[in-house]
Amino acid sequence: MSAISFATTEAPEVLVQRQTSSGRIAMTLAVLGVVAVATMPWWASTGTIRSILVLCCYIAVAQMWNLLAGYAGLVSVGQQAFMGAAGYALFVLAQTYGVNPFAAVFLSLLVPAVLAVPLYLLLHRLDGPYFSIGTWVVAEVFRLVASNLPIVNFGAGMSLRVMKDYSAFERNVAMSLLCAAMLLLTVGGSYWLLRSRYGLALIAMRDNPVAAASQGVNVAKLRFLIYVASAVGCGLAGAIYFMAQLRITPGSAFDPMWANVAIFIVMVGGIGSIEGVLIGALIFFIADRWFGEYGATYFVVLGLMTLLVALYARTGIWGLISKRWDAPWFPIRRKLVDPNRQ
Amino acid sequence: MTAVLSTHGLIARYGDFQALYGVDTELHAGEAVALIGANGAGKSTFLRSIMGLLPVGREMVLLDGEPIGGTATDRMVQKGIAIVPEGRRLFTGMSVEDNLRVAIDQAARFGAKGGWTLTRLQKLFPILAEKARAPVQSLSGGQQQMVAIGRALLCQPRVLLCDEISLGLAPKVIREIYAALPEIRAAGTAMIVVEQDVGLAQSASDRLYCMLEGRVTLTGKSGDVTREQIGKAYFGAGHAVV
Amino acid sequence: MQWFDALVQGILLGGMYAQYALGMALMFGVMRIVNISHGDLVILLSLIGISMATAWGLAPVSVLIILVPLAVLMGWVLQKLVLNRVVGSDPLPSLIATFGLSIALQNLMLQIWSANSRSLPGHGIESQSIEIGGIYIGLLPLIVLAVATGLTWGVDLMLKHTRFGRALRAASSDVEAAAMTGINPRAVYALATAVAVGILGFAAVFQSLRSTVAPADGPAQLIYAFEAVIIGGMGAVWGAFLGSMVLGISQAIGFRIDPGFGVLAGHIVFLIVLATRPQGLFGKAST
Repeated sequence: MSAISFATTEAPEVLVQRQTSSGRIAMTLAVLGVVAVATMPWWASTGTIRSILVLCCYIAVAQMWNLLAGYAGLVSVGQQAFMGAAGYALFVLAQTYGVNPFAAVFLSLLVPAVLAVPLYLLLHRLDGPYFSIGTWVVAEVFRLVASNLPIVNFGAGMSLRVMKDYSAFERNVAMSLLCAAMLLLTVGGSYWLLRSRYGLALIAMRDNPVAAASQGVNVAKLRFLIYVASAVGCGLAGAIYFMAQLRITPGSAFDPMWANVAIFIVMVGGIGSIEGVLIGALIFFIADRWFGEYGATYFVVLGLMTLLVALYARTGIWGLISKRWDAPWFPIRRKLVDPNRQ
Repeated sequence: MTAVLSTHGLIARYGDFQALYGVDTELHAGEAVALIGANGAGKSTFLRSIMGLLPVGREMVLLDGEPIGGTATDRMVQKGIAIVPEGRRLFTGMSVEDNLRVAIDQAARFGAKGGWTLTRLQKLFPILAEKARAPVQSLSGGQQQMVAIGRALLCQPRVLLCDEISLGLAPKVIREIYAALPEIRAAGTAMIVVEQDVGLAQSASDRLYCMLEGRVTLTGKSGDVTREQIGKAYFGAGHAVV
Repeated sequence: MQWFDALVQGILLGGMYAQYALGMALMFGVMRIVNISHGDLVILLSLIGISMATAWGLAPVSVLIILVPLAVLMGWVLQKLVLNRVVGSDPLPSLIATFGLSIALQNLMLQIWSANSRSLPGHGIESQSIEIGGIYIGLLPLIVLAVATGLTWGVDLMLKHTRFGRALRAASSDVEAAAMTGINPRAVYALATAVAVGILGFAAVFQSLRSTVAPADGPAQLIYAFEAVIIGGMGAVWGAFLGSMVLGISQAIGFRIDPGFGVLAGHIVFLIVLATRPQGLFGKAST
C-alpha cells in the first residue's frame, strides 16, 4: 500500500446522522419500559409480574433467534438446549451447592457459553438446512443426557426450594431487576451491536454473505461470535424463566416449544429488525392469553400463520410497516447530512 | 423476409443495475451473427435475456414474429432456441453420454424435430464417443466445450446461442471447435456467436454486432467492417485501435 | 451372542429408518430443501391408514395399496402449494414454511386422533418369526428391511436409467443449466417430492405395524432420517441406506447397554461422525 500515494481530496463537510425523531421517541419509551419492568414490585401484583416475566423471556429468546437467523443466517431450531442448560446449572448451583440463587443466575451463564464453542465447531460443518436439524439433535441430546444424569436427579427433575428463604417481595424485586437486566442485555445489547462497527458487517452479512466476505467481513468469525452470544442470551432467559417456575424437568427444560415461539415471533413480527421482535412478542403474548385455551386449534393457526408468512410476507409485519412509513424505532442506519443545506 | 429471431428495444436489469439499454438485433434463417464487445458490454446478458433467464418484456423478443420475451427458459428450448452457456455449465457427476441424453430426453418429450442424433454428433466430435462413459468433469476444457455444444444441438434448436465458446481454450482446440460451426449451419441452424476474439468472430459470421455499455454501437457485414470502425465501436469514440 | 443379536436387530431397525431417510436424501439432493414436516407426514399417513383399517377392516396390504398413491398425491400437492414457492439458495424460507406446517400438522392430528398411541392391526404378521442359527428374527422386520432394500435399489435404478432420473440428476447438479436443456425444474421437483413422500407411504404402514404411532411422534422420525442421511453421507441413495443401518445398530447396541441409552447412543454416533468425518461414512470428501 505504501507505494501508492493517494491524492488528498477535500472531504465534503457532512454530518453523520444516526438518530431520527421516531428513534428518539422510541428510545424514551424503551427506557421508560425498562424502568417500569425494574420497578414492578411497587406497582404490579405477583401475577402480573409473572406474566411480564414470561413476556420478557419471549422477547429475549426471540431476539436471540433473530440475531442468529436474521443476521448470521444460522437458522437454529434448538436454542432451547442453552435455555435448559443454564436453567439446570442454576438449579444445581443454588439448590445443590448453596450458591446465592441470584448470583447463580449469572454464574450459570458460563455453561451455555462454554458449551456453545464446541457445538458451533461441530454444527457449522452442516450445510444450510441440515444445520437447523443438527441444532435440534443437540437439544435432544441435552434432554436425554439430563434424563440420565444423577446430579440433576434424572428424569424426575429438580425443585428450587432455596427460594423459600426469601420473602415474596424480595423474590419479586429480584425477578423484576433480572428481567430489566435481561432486556437491556438482549435487546439493548443487540441494538448496541448493530450500531457498533460490527453492525455494518452484520447487516452486510444479512443482505449477502458472499459479498460481505469479499468486502473483508470475517463472516465465519462473526457467525461464531453471534452463535455464542445467542447461546448466552438464551441461557439468561432460561435461568430466569426456570427460577420463576421453581421447577425444572428434562421435558420442560429442553422443550422445542421455545423454538416454535421464537420462530413465530420473529417471522410474524419481521425478521432482521428489533422492532419486529417487539411487535411479534406482543402479538404472541396477547394471542397466548386470549386463544391459549383453544389448545391444539390455536397451534394449528399459529403453524399456518408461520407457513403463510414464509410463503407470502417474508419481511413480516414490520416489513410491511417500514415499506409505508420510514420511521424506525431503533435506527441503525448512518445518514449523511449536508449541514449547509438544512 | 422476416427474421427468425429479433430483439426490439431489449432492456434488462440486475436489480437496480441496468445492463441493456434498448438493443435491436435480428437473425435470419441459416445466418451466423457474431456479437463482439469488451467485458461487461452486455453480451452475455443479451443472450441470457433472450433465453428467459432475466425478466424482459414480452414484445422485446420475437421468434418468427411471435412475441416470446420472458418465457420460462425450458419453454424457450421447446420453442427452438438453445444456448451453449458461458462456463459450459455441464452436469457434473454425470457421464458424458448422460449429459447428452438429458437433452435427447427433453427433445423427445416435446417432440422436437431436427437432424441431430447422438451418432451424428459423435461423428462431428469423435471424442464424445470415445469418452462416452467418462464423468464429464474428467474431460479437458475443449472436450467439455464439445459436450456443451453437443448438448445444445441435441435440443434440436433452430437458433443456437453460443456464449464465448473459445474462452480459456488453446488455439488448436479453438480452431477445432470453430471448424465444426459450418456443419452446424449447414443443418439450417441460425447462430448468434458471442466472441472476444474479433478476428475469429469476423471469420465465423455473416454479419456482426458490436456492443458497448449495453448498447449496439456497430452493425454490418462481417467482411465489410473495418478495424477502425470496430475499434471505435468496441471502446467508444476517442480510443486508438489496438 | 447377545451382541450379535443386537447387531441383527439393529440392521432390522435400520430397515425402518432407511424408508424415512431415502425420501429426505432425495429431496435434499435435488432441491437443497429439508422438509421439517417429513416425520409428521409419516405419522399423518399412519393415522389415516389405521383409521381406514379400523373403519373398513382392511388388511395391511390393502392399506398399503391405498396409502402409497395418497402419499404420492400429498407430496405433489406439498410441492405445488408450498415448496415451489420457497425453493432457492436461501434455506430460511423453506425451513420456516415446513416448520410451520409441521406445527400445524401435529396439532391437527392431535385434534382429530387425540394424543393416544395407536397401531395398525397386522392380523398376526407382527408376531411371526423365523429362526436362523439360534436367533429368532421377526418376519415383519425382515419384510421391512427387504422393502427398504428394494425401494433404495429402485430409486437408484430410476436415477441412473430413466428420463426422469437423468432430469433429476441434471437439475440437482445445476438447475439453470437443466432449464437451458429444456427441463422444467418445477415439474421435476414436484415429481421428486411425490416420489419422496410416496416412499413415506410405505414407511407409514410399516411403522404403524411394527410399533405404535401418536401425533407427537413426527419430530423423532425426522431426526432419525436426518441422522441416517448425515452418517451415510450425502449424495448417493445408498449412503442414506447404509447410514440407516449404522444408526439402527448404534441404537440397538445402546439399548442393550441400558434401555434409557438407546436413542442417545444413536445421537452420539451421529455427533462422532460429524466430528470426525463430516462428509459421512460413505460419502466422498468434497474438494
